[in-house]
Amino acid sequence: MEELPIIPDGPRQNYSDAEKGEIFNQEFLPHIRSMYNFAHRLTLDEDDAKDLVQDTYLKAYRFIESFQKGTNAKAWLFRILKNSFINDYRKKIKEPSKVDYQEVESYYNSDEVDRQITPDLRVDALKDMIGDEISNALNALDVDFRTVIILCDLEGFKYEEMAKILDIPIGTVRSRLHRARNLLKEKLSEYAKEMGYKNTAS
Amino acid sequence: MNDPAPNPFTNSGKLSCLEMLQLVLDGQATSEQIAYFKKHMEVCMPCYKSYSVDMMIKDMLQRKCCGSGIAPETLDSIRQKISASIKPL
Ligand SMILES: [Zn+2]
Repeated sequence: MEELPIIPDGPRQNYSDAEKGEIFNQEFLPHIRSMYNFAHRLTLDEDDAKDLVQDTYLKAYRFIESFQKGTNAKAWLFRILKNSFINDYRKKIKEPSKVDYQEVESYYNSDEVDRQITPDLRVDALKDMIGDEISNALNALDVDFRTVIILCDLEGFKYEEMAKILDIPIGTVRSRLHRARNLLKEKLSEYAKEMGYKNTAS
Repeated sequence: MNDPAPNPFTNSGKLSCLEMLQLVLDGQATSEQIAYFKKHMEVCMPCYKSYSVDMMIKDMLQRKCCGSGIAPETLDSIRQKISASIKPL
């Protein structure tokens, strides 16, 4: 498996040490909570998450001249974290282009089918999930699907930003999100069934 | 980027329910698009049902999975390790 480039090619800035410190403290460090949450949800392990965040910040500092002051620091950092995760923590990886192609294909031809297979889940059942159900359901998703939910629903990234963070086309971001939502609903439907909710449309 | 589906709200072409719902859900719709969709939901039961469930899930994700429970000590220890590794800071 080829290593993913940590930093995209681009113009390099010339910062003084003082400027570097300022960017690091004011633009990078404020995202540490989101970064740790992302790392924890990817690795599902506290110590791995700590190491991954630390490692990401050290890389961000090392490559700080590839970062253009005032641009989207959070997206830049998330991209480094995600690539570091793939390079260092995720040894087994699917052939991405193949999967992505299939995703796009199935998405754009499957409007009707999706309508039918979308799990039947009601608001009442969701309201009773006051414990860790949603968190467990999220963590149970395949890492690619988990990632798009985190980026979109937890962190509020736009399609274009997600496409850059994940190095995939926007169409793939959309189809992956769509499938991730359906898988999440399937998981939550299972919990609802266990809680005694019948799967009848209301 | 070879995106096969540009924002359809900007074209006059008719958008499927699923596409509208997804744009709204994914936080990519403009306020006009959201207003349009909300009106549409008044006459489209499948959209209304899907929207209620999907938005509820999104809300649960934001309340329960955003890391509000991270121990401050965890973040402090990471910050300390980082600044110890970076001399000039
Ligand atoms: Zn509709």
